Amino acid sequence: MNAAAAHYLEQCRALEAAGALPGRDAGWLQAQRDAALQRFETVGLPSQRDEDWKYTSIRPLTVKPFRNTVANGDARAAQVTPAHIEAARIDGLQSHRLVFIDGLFAEEFSDAVDAIATVDSADSAKPSDSDGGAGITVAPLAGLLDKTPERIEHTLGTVAPRCSHGFTALNHAGARDGAVVLLEPGARPHRPVELLFINAAVDAFAQPRNLVVAGANSAVHLIERHISVGAHAAFTNSVTEIALGDGAQVDYHLIQASSAAAHHVCGVWARLARASRFSCRTVTVGGRLVRNDLGAELAGENAHCDLFGLYAAGGAQHVDNHTTVTHAAAHCGSCEIYKGVLDQRARAVFHGRIVVAEGAQKTDATQTNNNLLLSRGAEIDTKPQLEIYADDVKCAHGATVGQLDADALFYLRARGLGEAQARRMLTFAFANDILGRIENEELRAALSDTLTARLAGGDAVDGGIDAGIDGGGKNVDGGGGKIDAGARAASNRESS
Amino acid sequence: MLEIKNLNASVEDKAILNGIDLAIQAGEVHAIMGPNGSGKSTLANVLAGRDGYEVTGGSVAYNGRDLLDMAPEIRAREGVFLAFQYPVEIPGVTNLYLLKASINAIRKHRGEAELNAVAFLKLIKEKAALVKMSEEFLYRSVNEGFSGGEKKRNEILQMALLEPAFSVLDETDSGLDIDALRSVAEGVNQLRAADRAMLVVTHYQRLLEYIVPDFVHVMHAGKIVRSGDRSLALELEREGYGWADENEPPETAS
Repeated sequence: MNAAAAHYLEQCRALEAAGALPGRDAGWLQAQRDAALQRFETVGLPSQRDEDWKYTSIRPLTVKPFRNTVANGDARAAQVTPAHIEAARIDGLQSHRLVFIDGLFAEEFSDAVDAIATVDSADSAKPSDSDGGAGITVAPLAGLLDKTPERIEHTLGTVAPRCSHGFTALNHAGARDGAVVLLEPGARPHRPVELLFINAAVDAFAQPRNLVVAGANSAVHLIERHISVGAHAAFTNSVTEIALGDGAQVDYHLIQASSAAAHHVCGVWARLARASRFSCRTVTVGGRLVRNDLGAELAGENAHCDLFGLYAAGGAQHVDNHTTVTHAAAHCGSCEIYKGVLDQRARAVFHGRIVVAEGAQKTDATQTNNNLLLSRGAEIDTKPQLEIYADDVKCAHGATVGQLDADALFYLRARGLGEAQARRMLTFAFANDILGRIENEELRAALSDTLTARLAGGDAVDGGIDAGIDGGGKNVDGGGGKIDAGARAASNRESS
Repeated sequence: MLEIKNLNASVEDKAILNGIDLAIQAGEVHAIMGPNGSGKSTLANVLAGRDGYEVTGGSVAYNGRDLLDMAPEIRAREGVFLAFQYPVEIPGVTNLYLLKASINAIRKHRGEAELNAVAFLKLIKEKAALVKMSEEFLYRSVNEGFSGGEKKRNEILQMALLEPAFSVLDETDSGLDIDALRSVAEGVNQLRAADRAMLVVTHYQRLLEYIVPDFVHVMHAGKIVRSGDRSLALELEREGYGWADENEPPETAS
């Protein structure tokens, strides 16, 4: 085990020794933690020698020792003020909101969790609809584990893979808090549940862990946002597990808008039972090093998942999206579309894996990854990976890397738009394709504003003007920027 | 309004225009005809300022100013409009959004106040009615999934909105059936005015039955080899461009 792994192991051990980990009376939980610690001791932290980390160096996480924060409400309040919380509000969005600061529940900034079901019921227009909010529990993980751990004994830790990379094990072993959302069968809360994670303390190491259990035929919208107060470095290693019962529907949004010095290793794992529907939108506009592992397992027949992603990166940002869609049952569908806009020296990785298990006949899976390079210094490594063990399936994938279309640019200029404005308009249109897939209007509008501001922010787009649009290609190999061989090989292919 | 003198231009180092001379006055409609490869579309693109078309000699004065020195967007804001032969599809940018950005860029350039959403919507609906375009198209992505006729009609809608002083219509008739051609031409004709000029580039005389030009010029090998009134177009219709393959045209009027 190298020094960095030892450091993070020590962070977990210190919490345990201090009695700072929740649910100490739950034996099953302790067993999970012990197993995770053992796992971490065996695998350590990933390195670029691992195939799944070939293009992503975790050096920013190891050169600087990120540390647990002390659970101290006063110190926290000094850094995060009600004004920060107000500023972080999404205009017009009525949600049930839980706020976490450096991975710990901030009750003073959160909605009263005991009242959530009541508040939600009161939203309904018709009396006959008044049971809308009934059957929903939203609670901080630590509190729930201390009081009623048995409520999540059979779900916590069962969706995320036990044999994933070291960061997942580290989270299993050392998560102190997070959000739990439990929906009883048929529960359909009116308001979305919003989980706001804030990086606040300098060099903080936060490990939030979230669990969503959607009972049969329940439906919920979830928004998980990560932001920063201040521009200093921080490291968040989060895991979100989502278990969907038969016919359940979860619309989940992961919004990563931390400061340019904050790092985020993020695991999102969903398991879909029969006829359930999981819709996942990932929007990454902030962070210095961002690594997302997103896994969806279609475990019951007629389940469907949509994975839509947008990453807009500039400066020295590095955004790595590893996705795995596992078709474990027959008659399931999955649709994955990821788009990237990369400027300056930004680097992105997209690795999309589709696994069709033996017996998962009539699978219909598509995957698309399109990238726009606005600068010669930007780089994308895109790699689709299909593993198909059934013989009656439809799987298609494709990846493109290119620059802004020269014909479209000229067309806009010929209509009087300045070059910078024309570039922004085309870049926005490219990216907005993903935002357009977000059903929640308030969230979509807020993200649209964020993206617009980002593109108008001078450097973000206009800095790339010298980037060879003369090549004019919108296809792979268009020039400017480096492209991994995986993308070249990835024209549309079908196997049926 | 427009004075082209001894214009020479090349594309990828190949000389395409070899000394074009043409003067267009306000209120006039000029047609440029000629066989494929004669340089008609190159002339249109040079006037609009497209990248990749290199002017190697001559001058173009627009209202006394050097047109070739202006960036494409400045030409547009100064009232020069190119109706594209192949209008570009722009997924994700709605027609409405582009048109609003466009007219406001032009208004701003003229020192006029930008139109607000309400005023713009009222104006664009009037213009859509003028060119007989269904309002539904305003809310769709620019040209995406439009038929050939719809794309050309969309060009005319833009023209109707921007009210350019000088318009170049590059093969606006290509790919149109007779009904679409007629209605697109109607739209163009409504924009004819004493203070506006047009240059209509076409391969066929057919379009000129609907947009009746004041002058017709024939291009061949990058030069205007004949000029006349609209009867010249009819003559070309009868006799074709066969003579263009000979070294000398049958007669030269310019």
